[in-house]
Amino acid sequence: MQSPALPALGVPEPWRRRLVRNLLYGKSVDRSVKARARIGLAIAVFGLCYAVIAGRLVMYAATDNTTVRRSYSADAVATARPDILDRNGEILATDVRMPSLFGEPHRIIDKDEAVELLATVIPDLDAAEVRERLSSRRRFVWLRREITAKQRQEIHRLGLPGIGFMHENKRVYPSGPLASHLLGHVNIDNQGIAGIEKWLDSRGLADLHLAGLARDRLQQPVELAVDMRVQHALRDELIKARTKYKAQAAAGLVLDARTGEIVSMVSVPDYDPNNPREALDPTRINRLTTGVFEMGSTFKALTLAMALDSGRMNLNSMFDARGALQYGKHTIHDYHGQNRMLSMPEVFTYSSNIGTARMALALGVEHHKQFLRRLGQLDRLRTELPESAEPIVPRRWQEINTVTIAFGHGLSVSPLQAMMANAALVNGGLLIPPTFRKRTEEAAIQVATRVLKPETSEKMRYLMRLNAEKGTARRADVDGFYVGGKTGTSEKVVNGRYVKNKLLNTFTAVFPADRPRYLLLVMLDEPQVIAETQGYATSGWNAAPTAGLVIARIAPLLAITPRFDLPPADQLILASAQRR
Amino acid sequence: MMRVLNILVIGALVTAAAYVYQIKFESTRQAERLAKLRTEIRQEQDAIAVLRAEWSKLDTPARIQQLAKRHLSLAPVNPRQFDTLRNLPERPPDLVPPDAADPIGSLLENPDVLEVPATSSISAAPRAKR
Repeated sequence: MQSPALPALGVPEPWRRRLVRNLLYGKSVDRSVKARARIGLAIAVFGLCYAVIAGRLVMYAATDNTTVRRSYSADAVATARPDILDRNGEILATDVRMPSLFGEPHRIIDKDEAVELLATVIPDLDAAEVRERLSSRRRFVWLRREITAKQRQEIHRLGLPGIGFMHENKRVYPSGPLASHLLGHVNIDNQGIAGIEKWLDSRGLADLHLAGLARDRLQQPVELAVDMRVQHALRDELIKARTKYKAQAAAGLVLDARTGEIVSMVSVPDYDPNNPREALDPTRINRLTTGVFEMGSTFKALTLAMALDSGRMNLNSMFDARGALQYGKHTIHDYHGQNRMLSMPEVFTYSSNIGTARMALALGVEHHKQFLRRLGQLDRLRTELPESAEPIVPRRWQEINTVTIAFGHGLSVSPLQAMMANAALVNGGLLIPPTFRKRTEEAAIQVATRVLKPETSEKMRYLMRLNAEKGTARRADVDGFYVGGKTGTSEKVVNGRYVKNKLLNTFTAVFPADRPRYLLLVMLDEPQVIAETQGYATSGWNAAPTAGLVIARIAPLLAITPRFDLPPADQLILASAQRR
Repeated sequence: MMRVLNILVIGALVTAAAYVYQIKFESTRQAERLAKLRTEIRQEQDAIAVLRAEWSKLDTPARIQQLAKRHLSLAPVNPRQFDTLRNLPERPPDLVPPDAADPIGSLLENPDVLEVPATSSISAAPRAKR
């Protein structure tokens, strides 16, 4: 750049340089103008370069680059779910990451070869379907969800272009069918479709997923009230009972009387939530929440509580059970007919239909209806489980309905609902909505409503205990745990008629009866007469002994200390009556 | 003068460029390490989840029951096997005060402690020997 400036200064140019200049550019060319134009051009070119660089930078910053760089093994499609734990922190459900196989058809060179090679690794691969999928015009197709780590390794070694893996969260239930009805299950995209899993989604998890959050596994685990050990003991005994009494189904429930926590819920046959297809089988429904049943004689406890709570009858009231009760064209018989006047405890222990019917009639239809509504027996009970059934209430409630409902026929409720009312009978008169989540006693009192006087509840406890000492529930008594209970045998309705040999047997137990901690329900669907039951198939011969076995197993697990120094119920009833 | 300044500036430029390059290189290295550690953490978490699932599968009460039936001679607990601490008999009084300097001597001084009737299941005799 020095040379064009020199002549302007007037300094004589060395002769050699002048010669070169004249040879190159000619004699009369103004070099300074040319130089300026060149500088301008250089500035323009450099400016353009920088402008392009700046533009690209802005473009990179503004656009989402996830599509630009999808690596070989991408991440999480099916979203993460929180772990579900039982009340002792044992895992009931957790997420495990599994590779899934996908293809990008536009990047595959030889489709037939790809399909052939994949089939060598995954023998049960549907070749035709995979070929069709790879021939589609989509940019992304699933080839196989959830392959094993070994298969992933082998496919990786095949080195096929356009075939990749994505790691997905798969829900696993390590304990298998143990708590299937309670937990529910998820679909292939890890969305809850039944049970607590669905409840989790309805609680906002689904929204989090849509927003792209809740991807990692570090979510707060959900603690349930269920106790896995109790759940197993109950399920084990119910399965044994179902085989022993050749019943179609068996169901059981353990409810904490003071907090409303559902400590265990079993309905067999059940299914393995790891294989949710089994859940579609209609015989595997959860009988405790999705089924409604006429609870039979266990419902008599409610009628007695109503009679005692009304203040118009007491434990010494007598009821005429000398003959069958004629009502219109219906005749009410007693199963254990005594044909004499019965006192209230006798009505309970002999499970007298006539006695309870007379009680309800004496109080009237409106009173009965109102009492049952107060105890939540006429409305749908909603818990965390999305599955719930509406009770079947007679459309026109007349005196005859009151008569039959008094001993548990003509009103179908879900067993969970009936247990909620039974808990109120014995826990001091508080109706606590049952829950599957952990709950303290204080929290339970917050949501509880008082439905009975505490004195009524006290009398009910001892009636329950009396029944286990000398009534129909004798075979459920377990030495040391002071069990109280009520049997119930109801005939099933088939085509609108009660069928004599199709029974639904229920048994509600409360233990320990003097200070109730837990309620237990055992339900057997169509148990058969077996040699051991001496020709009977009623609840006292199958459901009650099953409940006894269950209590003997679960009471120590539930930290109930056995006591052997308690007086018989007679004396306790007397004592509680005298205190007043 | 100008030349010295130019050389200095060029030197500074080269140093600065080298330094910037070093920082950039270092940051890339750190970023790579971070990414690697992240994947490792992720893999460890996944492995933990798998192991935990495996563990609770092995821990299932049904499986434990099967194993116990096969290998152990244990029976379910009988309610009569429980008892409270209250029902334990009283500990018999010490024959010798615990802070006695000469235990045998104190026994001789106070001979009627040996006459303690053995009312409880724990007899006084073995204690006296100690």
